[in-house]
Amino acid sequence: MSGRGEVRFEDIIKMHGEFAALKGVNFEIKPGEFFALLGPSGSGKSTTLRILAGLDAPTAGHVYIDGKDVTSVDARDRDIAMVFQSYALYPHMTVADNIAFPLEMANMPRAKIGPAVVDAARKVKIDHLLDRKPGQLSGGQQQRCALARAIVRKARLFLLDEPLSNLDAKLRLETRAELKKLQRSLGVTAVYVTHDQEEAMTLADRMAVFMAGEIQQVGTPAEVFAKPNSIEIAGFIGNPPMNLLPARYINGDITIGGRWLKTTAQLAGERDVIVGLRPSALRIVADGINGKVDLIEDLGDSAILDIDCSGTQIRARVNHDNVPREGDAIAIAARPQDIHLFDPTTRKRL
Amino acid sequence: MSARRVRMFALIAISLVFLLAWAFPIVWSVLNSLKTDPDVLAYPPKLIFSPTLDAYRDVLFGSGSILPNLVSSIVISVGTTIVTMLMAIPAAYALARLRFRGKKFAGFYVLATQMLPPVGIIIPYFLVLRNIGWIDTYQGIILIYLSFSLPFAIWLLVSYFEDIPFEMEEAAYLDGASRLRTLRRIIIPQVRGGIAVTVVFVFLNAWNEFLFAVVLSGNTVRPVTVAMFNFVSVEQTLWAKLAAVSVLAMLPVVALGVVAQKHIVKGLTVGAVKGGGRR
Repeated sequence: MSGRGEVRFEDIIKMHGEFAALKGVNFEIKPGEFFALLGPSGSGKSTTLRILAGLDAPTAGHVYIDGKDVTSVDARDRDIAMVFQSYALYPHMTVADNIAFPLEMANMPRAKIGPAVVDAARKVKIDHLLDRKPGQLSGGQQQRCALARAIVRKARLFLLDEPLSNLDAKLRLETRAELKKLQRSLGVTAVYVTHDQEEAMTLADRMAVFMAGEIQQVGTPAEVFAKPNSIEIAGFIGNPPMNLLPARYINGDITIGGRWLKTTAQLAGERDVIVGLRPSALRIVADGINGKVDLIEDLGDSAILDIDCSGTQIRARVNHDNVPREGDAIAIAARPQDIHLFDPTTRKRL
Repeated sequence: MSARRVRMFALIAISLVFLLAWAFPIVWSVLNSLKTDPDVLAYPPKLIFSPTLDAYRDVLFGSGSILPNLVSSIVISVGTTIVTMLMAIPAAYALARLRFRGKKFAGFYVLATQMLPPVGIIIPYFLVLRNIGWIDTYQGIILIYLSFSLPFAIWLLVSYFEDIPFEMEEAAYLDGASRLRTLRRIIIPQVRGGIAVTVVFVFLNAWNEFLFAVVLSGNTVRPVTVAMFNFVSVEQTLWAKLAAVSVLAMLPVVALGVVAQKHIVKGLTVGAVKGGGRR
């Protein structure tokens, strides 16, 4: 599939009256990539997907697919398949007719449509349901039907708008894994919109994190997790999210709760910073930041501690064999390389 | 008797009263159509009589047969219904979906035409039709009927179109369908119920219309509602024949209702989009 499904957004702006839904969005998607658009609701990720699909027109900027400017090309001429959050199945048609619809619209000969439909249905394991109507299917089956309708045409781009959000938790995990396998086996470029960072982290090869109509960071999930480039992303990615604490930085060291911690930062002089500490990066140590355990949330294999460090609340995630009791006085610390520093004014990573 | 049974009997009794009020005109028409005129006028009313089909034979095959009038009514009603639906479906879709300047006003205007009392416009209509030579013609009456059936049909259909999630249409576009093909393959099949309801109402209104028909028709085009009026004269009313024509005139509408019923029920039961609605 090389060279098919390459996407480039160039300075895309979308205004809804006075409100800027997208404030100049730039990114690139490589062919065959599983690319996630991640962000809280209202951040512009769905608008971005709709502009890519051709369902909305940008106010300014250009969209390129496979090097061609498609900004003013109709949705139906873009050769894009999409799975909607609501699935948008055609309720008056059988599953087979639903899956066949894009092929019919492409004027594929009847003799070829039948086998193609069965093939797509088999890939998502609904080939025994072809005669049913969507109303007779469970939520999971409807979702698979929508997937089959999207993959049957072998479009160059495969868009998914929160496709798992209407499934229950167990089914969501199963489908998530199958979706990844499906995308790999088809070798198709997939663009996936979600507000669920776990979905984005597990599925995506790369992702763009949206905040308030702008892309704050593009990178692999590992990169974004390891080096969030703004306070907003640091607070959004990771579960539970990063502890963000105001602190004083002096020549490579920071002070929290009266204790000095070493960092790997190479900044000169002295300044105010926001320190980011992942709950999972904190260790219980003999000598560190002193605090009292307020609350313990037991997750079975690990536990989340709410620790009161002389007025500053810090959350830590510890192994199950290492859990203190509520009310215990403990000390915590983090390795220098696990300490993130942010500028309190620009809110960017230092 | 338990309180539950008392309540049930009370409910049945109340239902029977309503049923009687609803059924009386139909039963009265059917019974009178099977009587002779002396039997119709007998007092107290005869519940037991020897039924006869004389009235039907007279109105169908007698000197003043209403068969040509039934044909007129069918041509007018079917014509009105077809033209109305051909225009109302795209118009209702446009009102439900497209964003354009003055959409709100257009929606209100469609309804406002329904607020005009028909008697107020009947003379102007007559003058206009006479000037273009369309009095006593099918096209004349159908044109006039369109002026009130079309707004009504549009107004009724808009809500059905609005119920279809926009995402479904977008899915069809991405699947490669044009707007027209989407309308034909995706949207219209789903508003089948609404279309059936609208067809029944438009047909019924045209079929039973009397006021405009009596003014704008003539000897060539005379629907059955106007022809029926011949049985009512200053000297006497031919009740049996009147009743027979009423029953005959009811049959096509009843048949249409039975056919439409299937689609109306189907239209209500299809499951559509999970999670629901537009964001």
